[in-house]
Amino acid sequence: MNDTQTPETHLSEQPAASAALNKRHFFAPFIAVTAWLVPGLGHVLLGRWGRGLLVFCAVAGLALTGFYARGQVFPPHSDDPFGTLGFLADVCSGFFFVIAHLIEKTGPDVSRAAGDYGTRFVAAAGLVNLLAVLDVCGISLGRRN
Amino acid sequence: MSSGGLHLSHFAGMVAFALFVSVALGCLSQQTPKGRLKYAAWSFVLFIGTALAIAWLMYPFAR
Repeated sequence: MNDTQTPETHLSEQPAASAALNKRHFFAPFIAVTAWLVPGLGHVLLGRWGRGLLVFCAVAGLALTGFYARGQVFPPHSDDPFGTLGFLADVCSGFFFVIAHLIEKTGPDVSRAAGDYGTRFVAAAGLVNLLAVLDVCGISLGRRN
Repeated sequence: MSSGGLHLSHFAGMVAFALFVSVALGCLSQQTPKGRLKYAAWSFVLFIGTALAIAWLMYPFAR
């Protein structure tokens, strides 16, 4: 509140601020889901074009390098706990997880070092996107800039 | 790239990984463009430098 404002105008601003906060809280989950599905889109929806583009490029670069190196994309059901963790990391990359089978038609080949690296690239793509989703949540809730 | 997939050398794989992750960390952790660039560059140098340092430390025990 600056010096020219009276206490009455300050009080009249409170409901508007509260409504804006409620609106933020209402839209935050939708923006988070959008950010998860399409890396970088959550930042774009919040007006952070540069950050959104960089996040998309980083996630796409990691995921596509991993797919073309024939890294393993873990299925949802696995007997191995590490396989389940791998699935959780992979699924965080959003639609790149869905298109993995379209790009990696011959399947994974982790017998070569490149394929093994590819598995890490795909997992890292998901984790980077998870960080981006958390950043989007913070921005949409007003906790980050 | 052949039908066997992308053939990444160890060093190329490391550089690509460091580049993508550094860019993402820089843009998510800093608020200003200058800060992002500085953080990403520093992170990239640390990724590569640490890996090369560990590689040289392991060199005497390679065989």
